[in-house]
Amino acid sequence: MNGPDALSVFGAALSRRGFLAAGGALIVTAAISRPAPAAASAAATSGNSLDATAPTSWIEIHADNTVLIRTGKCDFGQSSIYTAYRQIVAEELCVPIEAMTTVISGDTDRTPDGGGTFGLLRTNVQNLRKVAAYTREAVLSLAAQKFRLPRTGVTVSNGVFSGGGKSASYGELVAGQSLDLVIPISGEATGFAGLTVTGSPPLKPTADYSIVGKPLKNPSIRPKISGETPWVGDIKLPGMLHARPIHPTTLGSKLLSAGRLDAAQYPRTRVVVIGNFVAVVSPDEWEAVQASQQVAAGTSWSQWQGLPGHQGLFDHLGQKVDWSEVPVRKGRANSGAIAEGFAKATRIHKASYQVPYLKHAPIGPTVSLADVKPDGSVTVHTHSQNPQYLRYSLAKMLGTSIDKVVVRTYPGPGHFGRSNGGNAGSEDEAVLLSRELRAPVRVQWMRHDDMQWSTQSGAGLSEIHVGLDASGRISAYQAAHKAPPMQDDRLIGAVLAGLPTIDAPRPGTTDFVHAAELNIADTWVYGGIANVEEQGFGTYQIGQRESPIGVGLRDHSMRTPIQFQQNFPREVAISEAAALAGADPIQFRLDHVDNERFLVILNRLRVESGWETRPSPSPTHSATGDRMVRGQGVSIMLRDNGYWACACTIVVTPSTGEVKVERLTIVLDLGIVVNPLQLKRQVQAGCTMGISQALHEEVSFDAGAITSTDWASYPILTMAELPEIKVVIAPRPEFGIYGQGSESANALAAPAIAAAFFDATGKPARRFPLRPEYVKKMLEA
Amino acid sequence: MTTLKINGRLRTVRAPGDTPLLYVLRNELDVMTPKFGCGLAQCGACSVLLDGVEVRSCITPIAAVGHKEVTTVEGLPARWARHRGLSAEDAARTLHPVQEAWIEEQVPQCGICQFGMMIKVTELLEHTPFPSDEQIKAALTTSGPSPHLCRCGSYAAILEGAHRAARLMADGGAK
Repeated sequence: MNGPDALSVFGAALSRRGFLAAGGALIVTAAISRPAPAAASAAATSGNSLDATAPTSWIEIHADNTVLIRTGKCDFGQSSIYTAYRQIVAEELCVPIEAMTTVISGDTDRTPDGGGTFGLLRTNVQNLRKVAAYTREAVLSLAAQKFRLPRTGVTVSNGVFSGGGKSASYGELVAGQSLDLVIPISGEATGFAGLTVTGSPPLKPTADYSIVGKPLKNPSIRPKISGETPWVGDIKLPGMLHARPIHPTTLGSKLLSAGRLDAAQYPRTRVVVIGNFVAVVSPDEWEAVQASQQVAAGTSWSQWQGLPGHQGLFDHLGQKVDWSEVPVRKGRANSGAIAEGFAKATRIHKASYQVPYLKHAPIGPTVSLADVKPDGSVTVHTHSQNPQYLRYSLAKMLGTSIDKVVVRTYPGPGHFGRSNGGNAGSEDEAVLLSRELRAPVRVQWMRHDDMQWSTQSGAGLSEIHVGLDASGRISAYQAAHKAPPMQDDRLIGAVLAGLPTIDAPRPGTTDFVHAAELNIADTWVYGGIANVEEQGFGTYQIGQRESPIGVGLRDHSMRTPIQFQQNFPREVAISEAAALAGADPIQFRLDHVDNERFLVILNRLRVESGWETRPSPSPTHSATGDRMVRGQGVSIMLRDNGYWACACTIVVTPSTGEVKVERLTIVLDLGIVVNPLQLKRQVQAGCTMGISQALHEEVSFDAGAITSTDWASYPILTMAELPEIKVVIAPRPEFGIYGQGSESANALAAPAIAAAFFDATGKPARRFPLRPEYVKKMLEA
Repeated sequence: MTTLKINGRLRTVRAPGDTPLLYVLRNELDVMTPKFGCGLAQCGACSVLLDGVEVRSCITPIAAVGHKEVTTVEGLPARWARHRGLSAEDAARTLHPVQEAWIEEQVPQCGICQFGMMIKVTELLEHTPFPSDEQIKAALTTSGPSPHLCRCGSYAAILEGAHRAARLMADGGAK
């Protein structure tokens, strides 16, 4: 195997670059496989600027038996890259978990992969899992050579290869050598989805797992809690300046004139104007804050009114939007003959459901630090779920090569999908200011910037018809889901400065994430219904085309994007249809799902939640009076091969409109549970955020601007409102697929709470939040 | 020039007296666990103790701090060591029981709010060694200028963390 004679292992190539006096390592690098030379455009080639020969990729096996893994993903509190990823790689390598000492994440110059931090256990971990399998097989070949045995004569367990009475550890087999394992990959590092490891190395049978499935603590928590971890906002560079942007007063305002700065009062501060982008920059942060208030007060903007206002939003979506502009998408589960199904119906439930715009609302507003050097090289220190796509977007804004841009990532406030297309806001503004001022610039958005100038989770309006036959079964289900697009990944600073960005969401793009077409994203679960028609109607972002600066209400995926907006109406409608049928809502679901896994978890839910089997509304329901009324509700969801069921109990005080969640139970079957400890915490937390959305959250806006500016005008759940939350993990490892956690848990609460509201009061809740002002209207309806 | 007592040490700072403590801690003194969340005393991410009383450093001008001692999460281990009469050597190796409990219970999701949460729970446990669920919830919701907010939804874990911290403190700390 010396020199260029590489050993081929399941399509990967193992070679020895040399012998070393001390240490030794096996390093896994990537070979880019391309189907045809024509596909390798210049841009695509530069997109894979990670040097396949450089020791910066994937997995390193060290002579001391420690293992380092690199992933382009980041951590946002899920812990998966520090827990589940180590477990899965240890399992595939057949080494003890203690050997997995180091995880390097996110930085574009130090990690491979690319792609976004989402679906961490669904698709993204498969890269490292395959690399680990290639690595194990390559080292097994080394062991076979050393032992003078055929490969089939060697086994590996607990980090040690054995055969013919001999044994050697991973470390012993790589010691004193510099070994390269080149693996096949496809894709673009800076593409939205990043790289994919190809080929089919033999994967360890999941039935043999001994590390996956065990509770494992998150090693990143101790340094955070002890104050050792640098967070994104903590990074400082010599000569760094502090900036505060002054964003336009409406989402369609152009700059007329920037406000005056009192130089005597703020001698070290200056105002920077680039197009419609205005910022105040100072060596002193507090001076920048104060000066920005002075400048903002004197800055004049053109007036713009192009939004329907949140109170007029659903009338706008229902009556003003032309839904024929964007091609209609049909559900994959559409089946049967919908007209015949309704012809058989003796009763029809027909209703309209509304999901408001929601903020990701990280506890810390976005903050980034950029350093643009005179040679045009750019380093951005930030907190991004998709650093390679941010790198691509920044290079596009600057009109430079992506090779000039490095994105370094740090822990930051969780923002639930807002930066999975690269930016969370502030990164591009920091770059523009650093380029302008020839110094490192830190841009910290204030609370109002983050509320008013970040993207939001899109609203939805759904018309649902459910036909019941004479026996009370559903004979037809029809849904028309209408919503603005899912995701606008334009850099807002670049938009304001008039610099190049990717397109705003539009119809006809091949890039599905940025499409205006509305997919049916809520996986259909009621296979027992013969006639089903779901349609998705898309449009442009509200106000964007009318805005003179092309902004409007920018949307972005959050947690279970689009599925949330479609699952809420579906599940509330199914609960209302159960009531129309005089059926218990859990039994009604059991009667219409066709999947054994849902039967198991729904039956378990009934027991675990203390469910009262009976139709809704409750015998004690009331829509009036000072007496608290209690109700129960249920919701289910299928996502990422995970089966979820949720039941909750709430109390409503009709006279005040106050709603309190008392207890919430979630039963989940995710196939293989990688880490039950972290999964439980993710489910508790995701579900708590869901309760917050259901009770409190709605982005308010007037004709020109978002009017949710702080935690008073965008309230979220407080600790005092925390209900009892019971998480029941019901694994089904025989299905062989990893399940993942907090996103689905987030979506379940709102439809279960709305169903419980109907149970308690006899009045449907077809929208949220269940704030007193809306609740009173619902009760009076 | 203003002299402040921060985590047991006297520090002299140049910032004008109207500068909020948060900016001075982070930019002039490199005390980084208090985080900027809102600048409006609405979230609790910037909480510190002033002579054992939780305040929001984002709206507290340094001129108002006076001679009171500021304790941040960086200073919790020493605060605990002083309380227990530990040697300097032992103190350097220890974390505050609230911190240990937060690790044991794997409380944080993203963690940005947890510095303020731990400060508030430390304040509570110094006065109420074995709080009920309701007392913990009240401390983190109604006792200060605003609720302590967690966007990830770690409240259930915080509740378990606070109870574990109470037990650890009663037992004299971890290990």
